[in-house]
Amino acid sequence: LTPGHERQPERAPAGALPLAGVRVVDLGIAMAGPLTARYLGYFGADVIRVESRRRPDSLRVSRSSWLPAGTAPEVAQDTSPLLSQSSADKRGVVLEIDRADGYRAFTQIVRSADVFVTNLSADVLPRLRIGYDDIRAIRPDAVYLATTAFGHEGPYKSFRTWGMNLCAVSGLDAMVGWPDRDATGIGMSFPDYPAALIAVTAIVAALRRRKRTGQGARLELPQFTMSVNCIGPAVVDAGLGRDSYPPRGNRAAGGEVQGVYPAAGDGRWVAVTVADDAMWQALGSVEGLRHLGGDPRFASAAGRAEHLDEIDGLLADWAQRRSDWQAAAELQEAGVAAAPVFDAWDALGDEHLASRSYFQLAPSARFGTDLVSRPAAAPAELTQQVRAGPPAMGQHTREVLSEVAGLPAQEIDQLLADGTAYQMPNPAAQLERPYLSWIGALLRLPWQGPREAG
Amino acid sequence: MAPLLGPVRVLDLSSGHLSYCGRLLADFGADVVLIEPPGGSPARRAAAGSMSAAFAFTSAGKRSVTLGLGHPDGLALFLRLADRADVVISTAAPGELENRGAGHQELLGRNPGLVFASITPYGLCGPRRSWRGSDLTAWASSGALPVYGDPDRAPLTPREGLALSAGALNAAMGIVLALTARDGSGRGQLVDISLQEAVLSVAQEVTPVLALDNGVLPQRAGKRRQAPPMGHYRAADGAVMIVAFTPWQWQALAEWISQETGTGEVLNERYAGTPADRRPYAGELDGWIEDLTARYSKQEFAEEAQRRGIPVCPVNSVADLLADPHLAATGSWVSVPSPDGAIRMPAPALSVDGAPLTVGAIPAAGAHTAEVLAADLGLGQQELIRLRWSGVV
Repeated sequence: LTPGHERQPERAPAGALPLAGVRVVDLGIAMAGPLTARYLGYFGADVIRVESRRRPDSLRVSRSSWLPAGTAPEVAQDTSPLLSQSSADKRGVVLEIDRADGYRAFTQIVRSADVFVTNLSADVLPRLRIGYDDIRAIRPDAVYLATTAFGHEGPYKSFRTWGMNLCAVSGLDAMVGWPDRDATGIGMSFPDYPAALIAVTAIVAALRRRKRTGQGARLELPQFTMSVNCIGPAVVDAGLGRDSYPPRGNRAAGGEVQGVYPAAGDGRWVAVTVADDAMWQALGSVEGLRHLGGDPRFASAAGRAEHLDEIDGLLADWAQRRSDWQAAAELQEAGVAAAPVFDAWDALGDEHLASRSYFQLAPSARFGTDLVSRPAAAPAELTQQVRAGPPAMGQHTREVLSEVAGLPAQEIDQLLADGTAYQMPNPAAQLERPYLSWIGALLRLPWQGPREAG
Repeated sequence: MAPLLGPVRVLDLSSGHLSYCGRLLADFGADVVLIEPPGGSPARRAAAGSMSAAFAFTSAGKRSVTLGLGHPDGLALFLRLADRADVVISTAAPGELENRGAGHQELLGRNPGLVFASITPYGLCGPRRSWRGSDLTAWASSGALPVYGDPDRAPLTPREGLALSAGALNAAMGIVLALTARDGSGRGQLVDISLQEAVLSVAQEVTPVLALDNGVLPQRAGKRRQAPPMGHYRAADGAVMIVAFTPWQWQALAEWISQETGTGEVLNERYAGTPADRRPYAGELDGWIEDLTARYSKQEFAEEAQRRGIPVCPVNSVADLLADPHLAATGSWVSVPSPDGAIRMPAPALSVDGAPLTVGAIPAAGAHTAEVLAADLGLGQQELIRLRWSGVV
């Protein structure tokens, strides 16, 4: 039934992972930089995340909403669920590198590293002495990657932004909306995520180049231009004066039949795309839709484009007599692209994702076990278990300062005493996410094969 | 310095936005050969008959070989090319290449070092592996879609091709990892990209694990969240995006509102703190904020806000990008030769060793057929003429 492979984890022994033996230093906040390093860790790199207690990651400041009000901050800082996305498969050290002793210890860590990743602001890099020239002075063949919002030049170079601002300035937001209303935008930090995918691709390619040539690399990725490239075809069209991409609801730019139609039940929808004539003919073979297939006005793409309002109405009328799943399944059976519109619960419970080991459980210092997801990019034979959830703040400080930086115990004690370093306080304080007792069973983790029919 | 990707030969069977995967590898220095049907891919042409923007953007820097895979001679030539290739990229529906005898198992059987990247709506295994899909259905399957749009209407999909972009980028990442694994083992493998998972990889902020931890499903909130200021506010000529998470960013905005509109009440202590603290007052605060934003053009407002330390950007339309001062000043456009004349496109964002990546020309259909078949497979002039006459190339 399954053509050629299963997405079963644990196919790759740890030593066989492609980045085994590569050490990464990750000095960033929130998502793009840490996520880049997290991906490298999944594929076998030894990732050391360096954090600051005085300027903490925003994900260390936010906390899980279910935490009791009186929870101590030194425990709450380990609870944001976004940390499991940004920082699984890493070791964590807390070190204030803007102090002389802290920078000295940092230098020792970087000296042993192959890759350095940061997403701190362009103006912070020289202040913290983590620009390319600084890192190259410590490790001449380092593969260095900095992803900033706007790069080091140009009128916006010192603009303060969050990911949501970048969605707006790069044209992503203005296309999302209804034609008769203000655009709504996509309201999330989208650019961090493609930035991490490109960053990993570039770093892994640069490591291969280094094997051939011995040279490191200086890689810089401004997220503004990166986001503009994500909609490159639309930008080319606009440049040719063909289309300004106003909000079109859910309609396709090319005038194809496409929509999100209400299905039976409260808040249930089905998404449908009729890409070409063949799919339209397929749609016309579906019970209850034959009158659409038989209508000569809709026979050609141009004819359908002229009657989209009417077609949308007919499809909505058909869809609302069925459940979202039933509507999607009937259309798929005929060969039409259609899917129930999942909400978060549907996605969590999706047997298809589960069968591909998308969600996983990984060991965690604060939780015992934590819920994580694997990289979508994982090649088939490199699909494996996430080895560790995100480190608690300072979980590996002593270990890294001793084993990696080579500092004697006395010096480490001194750094901890004067607040230049910080280690996980109160490791005995264990927390339990309210869903961890049942989510593994619900998702059937580890995956045991499809549930019996009926 | 040497290009990032050394001598890597890619056979690219993809089309549409997903073809950005091979484009990225070409930008990185790979030799990417686009395989098109004789006469050229239908994806080359837009509705009006001119070159499609998606084709122009995604095929820059590739070579083009026309080869009819439906013809036995064409298929045989393809298999011989695949025997010598490092990477094959396919966006064919599951089963389509298998039926022709060119599926990943067949190709990996012949060339065990091959990295075969497949991008499909749901991946090549799992209960929905044979489902058809689109950019929209990929978003629909991610769990993120119900979050976008206005509360009183259907969920809205992000656009234009972002799900497909995410698929292409995940495939490129999987390919370089599989090449690195091959460096050690000598063996290639399948890179099985599911667009459903690709969207999850770029939309995790609004999807399953976070919702589970919060214990509530996020809802559609329209153009801004109910915790000001976070979202779009009207400007004289459009809108601006204001995101003020920190107490001092709010303070700066409140002072500006008070100075300029005379609404001193905005400085009241009850509004201080983080956006969540202001949630109960969203109605009055959003009104006061818009009193200010509406006095400026979006670009002027963003620049003045940034001077005051408030994270604001203009909400640019795609057309606005063409005149954006930052893109213009930073050399972020390239002019790429094509058979239809030069085409202006955004330059690659990544720079390597201090230099931007260069973008190659958009090939005419079959421009490199003779060159590739002669150099790689040793086909002579007579053989090429025969293949052309029989419609194979």
